[in-house]
Amino acid sequence: MKELAEVLKDWEAVIGLEIHTELTALDTKMFCGCKLSHDDEPNANVCPVCLGLPGALPVPNKRAIESIVKAGIATNCQIQKRSMFYRKHYFYPDMAKNFQTTQGPVAFAMHGRLDLEVTGRGAAERPACAFGAAEAESLASASANAEGLSTAMNKQMAEGRAAVGALSAMSGYDTAGLAVPELHEDGSYTVPIRILRIHMEEDAAKMVHVGGEEGRIGGAAESLVDYNRCGTPLIELVTEPDLRTPEEARLFMEKLRRIFLTLGISDCSMEHGSMRCDGNVSLRRRGETSLGTKTELKNLNSFKALHDGLAYEICRQAEVLEEGGTIYQETRHWEPSRKRTQVMRVKETADDYRLFPDPDLAPFDLTDEFIERCRAEIPELPDAKRDRFEADFGIKRADAEQLAGDPDMAAFFERAAAGRSGKEAQTVANLIVNELTGFLKASGADLAASGIAPAQVASLARLLASDAISSNQAHEVFGAMAETGEDPEAIVDARGMRQVSDAGALQPIVDEVLANCPDQAQQYRDGNQKVIGFLVGQCMKASRGTGNPKLFNELLRASLS
Amino acid sequence: MAAFLDSLTASRIAAGVSAGDFTAREVAEASLAAIAAREPQVQAFLQVTSELALAAADAVDSARAAGAPLGPLAGVPLAIKDNMNLIGTRTTCASRMLEGYESPYTATCVQRMLDAGCIPMGKANMDEFAFGSSTDSSAFHPTNNPWDLERVPGGSSGGSAAAVAAGEVALSLGSDTGGSIRQPAALCGVVGMKPTYGAVSRYGVVAFGSSLDQVGPFGRTVEDVALAMQALTAAGRDPQDGTSRDCAQDFLAHLDDPVEGRRVGIVPALMEAEGLTPEVRAAVESAARTLADQGAELVEVDLPHLDAAIAAYYVIGPAEAFSNLARFDGIRYGYQEPGCSNLAAQSAKSRAHGFGAEAKRRQMLGAYLLSSGVYDTYYYAAQKARTLITADYASAYEKVDAILMPACPRTAFKHGEISDPTQMYLSDLYTISINIAGNGGVSVPLGLGADSGLPVAAQLVGPAFADRDLLTFARAVERGREDEVAGAAAGAVAPAFAGKGGELA
Repeated sequence: MKELAEVLKDWEAVIGLEIHTELTALDTKMFCGCKLSHDDEPNANVCPVCLGLPGALPVPNKRAIESIVKAGIATNCQIQKRSMFYRKHYFYPDMAKNFQTTQGPVAFAMHGRLDLEVTGRGAAERPACAFGAAEAESLASASANAEGLSTAMNKQMAEGRAAVGALSAMSGYDTAGLAVPELHEDGSYTVPIRILRIHMEEDAAKMVHVGGEEGRIGGAAESLVDYNRCGTPLIELVTEPDLRTPEEARLFMEKLRRIFLTLGISDCSMEHGSMRCDGNVSLRRRGETSLGTKTELKNLNSFKALHDGLAYEICRQAEVLEEGGTIYQETRHWEPSRKRTQVMRVKETADDYRLFPDPDLAPFDLTDEFIERCRAEIPELPDAKRDRFEADFGIKRADAEQLAGDPDMAAFFERAAAGRSGKEAQTVANLIVNELTGFLKASGADLAASGIAPAQVASLARLLASDAISSNQAHEVFGAMAETGEDPEAIVDARGMRQVSDAGALQPIVDEVLANCPDQAQQYRDGNQKVIGFLVGQCMKASRGTGNPKLFNELLRASLS
Repeated sequence: MAAFLDSLTASRIAAGVSAGDFTAREVAEASLAAIAAREPQVQAFLQVTSELALAAADAVDSARAAGAPLGPLAGVPLAIKDNMNLIGTRTTCASRMLEGYESPYTATCVQRMLDAGCIPMGKANMDEFAFGSSTDSSAFHPTNNPWDLERVPGGSSGGSAAAVAAGEVALSLGSDTGGSIRQPAALCGVVGMKPTYGAVSRYGVVAFGSSLDQVGPFGRTVEDVALAMQALTAAGRDPQDGTSRDCAQDFLAHLDDPVEGRRVGIVPALMEAEGLTPEVRAAVESAARTLADQGAELVEVDLPHLDAAIAAYYVIGPAEAFSNLARFDGIRYGYQEPGCSNLAAQSAKSRAHGFGAEAKRRQMLGAYLLSSGVYDTYYYAAQKARTLITADYASAYEKVDAILMPACPRTAFKHGEISDPTQMYLSDLYTISINIAGNGGVSVPLGLGADSGLPVAAQLVGPAFADRDLLTFARAVERGREDEVAGAAAGAVAPAFAGKGGELA
């Protein structure tokens, strides 16, 4: 198979995402008062409503509606004042009623947009030909031909056509005014990704197949159903087919996750499935306007899986097409261990879910007051926070972006870096991005449980910025601080780590090292600059780590010149 | 005092229990005796709940002994349609699919009747999942009309109507999706009310057509039905039913208000409709005269889109039924086909063998009507018809306070007499449009038909949430009959069963 970079020169990948997010921050389920928790014993949190027992009726969770309205506002969607719940019928034991309560042609939030800043190596995935005016054509033709959920529903349902028609007329929503990505000198670019809709639905139960292969139902001796998850409030975001590279898909997902975390509506765990992503991808020759046949990818349960799964599938489709083969509309399963996608199910015809308005749930009429209250409760969003961190603290944009994306980390940074800017603030940022996140990842603890205080990181940063300790020492001090809870100053003093930055004290060590390493000294004099690193290391060793490595470096160079 | 239970109204029983004329236990035992003596002929019940009844009666008597206040229906024997959940009973919907199914919770409507002091005597027979107008589609046995055992009691709440008409109980609960309370009430000569959609909670009532279903009471007098309406609505809206409304009001205070100067609508097209028998027409005309004699003004009104009601109903009803009955798949509860090797077979065979013919017919129809490609043609069109019919009624109510019409075009038919389902559907000609529009309707008995000698009835329908006012008109019709000799006195049970078992010591 060809490499992705090679494939994308000839082929354009058209990618759309469907992202499900469980509203884990809520206390109760979507349509009943059952506790929202997946950790309890199986079927502990169930009632006649979420079990779909005869005669039970749904009552919508108002806080879930608030959550989706916030999600819609934060992703620049239009909030629909009137929308309805629909019943989507399919037969499977994970859905107790054999229909899922979801939304119809009009969702609570429609027609939004997020702008992606694509930088670094990932930006190179989009080939140079895919910028500027050519992209305008590409976007317009892709969305005009896309067969999304809502377009199918609009075709099928007169009320859908009417409602969506009215919306389009109202918003003037089209591709004409849409910005197209322009390549910057540093290889980065910004691309707008449109969001078709965000709708509200209920999650299904969890099934456990015992005795079969790989936990699949085929061949299982028995299948167990845990209805604790059944009825969990779920929001599904559907993008327009505006994504063109796996990197853009990954960045979109990351960005969305940061927004939802900031809103506090979900814990957004891809690992535990509270945020799940399906990718739809098709290929067409560069310059083509009609769309190719798409496949749907499942099991993309990490950012890496999302990227790598799409990258593999793009390369696979290219190979099939280049060999004269046919792409079938099918659902494929990403197998990270084998680095390939496998067919799960072939879709020969569209499923007929017999959608119709749920007669047990009256249409929703959201008041301006309700929407404005939701808007007022939205905290500062990651993009704004990133820009503020960059401007106010003078830290690197990439670090600002990472810090701003995690509400807890962002708050921690603001407290640790309060009153600082420039180098000092950047030192705080470095410690959080490198030391703190590394420690949390390794220990598995979360920030609150770690017991590490912003003031401790601030004092560690002060020690570093004043050259009192080296960055290697800072790593050691951080570890000790996290373990014992002691303050950095105390640790540094107790361990005699305070860095020596006195040239007079360090010169004898330099002289001694040069005397002991005549070969390396000669190599440096002969023009091998790199060997200075070895000599600095020897000095550090001789000083038992207390000497200032920068000063050693200067003294060595001076002595050797 | 010695009396037969069936000679007492619910109102009189509750008063007697409160006054200490007899105990609730004596009433419950008398009701059980009447049931034992009459059930062999009537077969109104699928399950008689003696233990629950006696325990509930004892609770009423203990409360009275302790000086606690009694509910307004203390000691009144109640039959409950078998699509309503009551802990400790089976809820079968008269279907093999739910044979033996016991609900772990109680329906709100049932709980409110029990809270008012009612004694739960048992679960009443019905058409399977409420699909039908005869109760003959019950998977277990038919119910016989107490006025003529060879005839049906109507349906789908046939057991509830027959139990009241035969004097086995004083009150019963039914559900009405297209006439399932008002039509059997008419055929059995009792009062039956379908309140406005949303007036009574549907929580715990096995759904047929969620946008059409409404729970309501049967009684032998308008006053008894008013008492039951009070019990069903007094606690206000049910937070467990998102479509329910707060309709608490005093249903008794204005029951005997005069109708003088009030306007009653007559729809000429309905009085000329094909299939309306002369004896029913004559009875409805006599009810109109009764109201006019009391000073009401009769006004002709037009409902131009009524022709579309049956067609719209047989789109919306089956579509919702298809969806609501999808959960019966033989996996978690209910009938489970033995020996199946996979999920698809288990579901398909359990459904094939668990559902009767009419239940399958409606679900298949609904599945077709909702499928892509025909949705616009049928479902969307039916919703438009619904809007027009609702608007028709709304504009009629600008001119009148209530509309008088037949409840059913004819009197009770014989078992098996109507074998063509579409002919059966036509017996709901007069009731269906009220479910489509959502308004309330009440069937009032008018004695016996001149030709058949069987009960005939009129129906009064009113604006949305004017159910209390509707009962005032019903009471006026009933009052007009009290002096007449029309073959059957208001409030009387079917003569073959009067005094048959159930003596109150």
